[in-house]
Amino acid sequence: MKPIHLNLASRPYRDYRPVYAAVVALSVLTALLMLENIDTYYRYTHETRNTRAKIEKIEAETQQERQREEMSQQRIKGLDLGRLSAQTKYVNAQLSQRAFSWSTLLDELESVLSDDVRILSISPGFTDTRDVTLSLTFQTKSADGMLTTINQMNGDPQFKDPFPSNESQIEGGYQFSLNVLYTPPTLPGGDDGVVRAANKSEVAR
Amino acid sequence: MIWREKRTLLAILGLLLAANAGFFLTYRVQYQSRLDALDARLAQAEGTLEATRQSRLKAEQTLQSYKKVENDVLLVFDEHWSTRARRLTALIAEVKRLAVASSLVPTSYGFSRGDTQEISTVTSGKRRNETLGASEMRISFSVRGTYAQTRRLINLLELSRQFVIIEAISLSAADAETLSLTLQLKTLFRDEQPDAAANRL
Repeated sequence: MKPIHLNLASRPYRDYRPVYAAVVALSVLTALLMLENIDTYYRYTHETRNTRAKIEKIEAETQQERQREEMSQQRIKGLDLGRLSAQTKYVNAQLSQRAFSWSTLLDELESVLSDDVRILSISPGFTDTRDVTLSLTFQTKSADGMLTTINQMNGDPQFKDPFPSNESQIEGGYQFSLNVLYTPPTLPGGDDGVVRAANKSEVAR
Repeated sequence: MIWREKRTLLAILGLLLAANAGFFLTYRVQYQSRLDALDARLAQAEGTLEATRQSRLKAEQTLQSYKKVENDVLLVFDEHWSTRARRLTALIAEVKRLAVASSLVPTSYGFSRGDTQEISTVTSGKRRNETLGASEMRISFSVRGTYAQTRRLINLLELSRQFVIIEAISLSAADAETLSLTLQLKTLFRDEQPDAAANRL
């Protein structure tokens, strides 16, 4: 005889307890994490507010600095630096010539020339350096006047590289010409009003 | 079967949990490193600002130095050289006055006018000559006197407020006590053409 199992339930029986347990567990865990996250977010935004404000301010300042630098660079580009450089060089050359002291040169020449040597002409040539090329013509009564003068100049630190260009016998003596580099003494504390060089390479690019 | 029936709810809960866990791991676990990163960003921004500021200052200083050079050049052109109309007669009068002050009176003066000076500039890699905006003038004269008188004249010319350059000196013995001195002087005048000033930057 087959046993009879009676099922008097109106719907099929389901044990949902594990599902509800899982749902409750997940919900509690999610809620806890959410609370923690909200707290974290609040603390993060609160604690970093000053720093972020500082960064924003600095970035704004940086932008302003960039704009001002750009304006300066544009103004520099607008300058005719090639012309300014050439003008400065020319003006400085003229100022150097103007500042050249003939009185000092004559004093120096007086100190190196022997008694029987006389100056006939002096013509300076200005170079880019401090040195001045002098073309000098002398008159002397003695035959070794030129040699004495060259030796004297070689012994004077203001004169460099004296070199004769000609010597000729004239009535009552000799006439000779020399080329020599002359270094004018430095004036105390003065650059003789020289305009400071304008050079394209000074532009920081 | 029962899990499948509640899968929608479970999926939503799972997603919420995953999102919160993600946020938690990103922010809460690495909280300090995030703060450090922000501090590092602040330091970097400060560094960028300082570098930009230095760069701006350098550009402004360069501009200022060019402006100063430009002003100095203009000062020489306008004040020291000036125009021929404004300075020529004053210059000649000054030379004559200094000669008299040295007790040396030239019998004659020679005047010569130079061309407008040119300068060579390089623009876009091309070299070209432009007018400088100034021209030279030379004065030459001879005087007779003692060595002391000639030295005095030279010294007075050097000290003169006029822009006078002594270009060359020639001396010869006139007699036992007297020298004959020939002086060649040079000066510069700013050009009067309207474009001269414009050419100067």
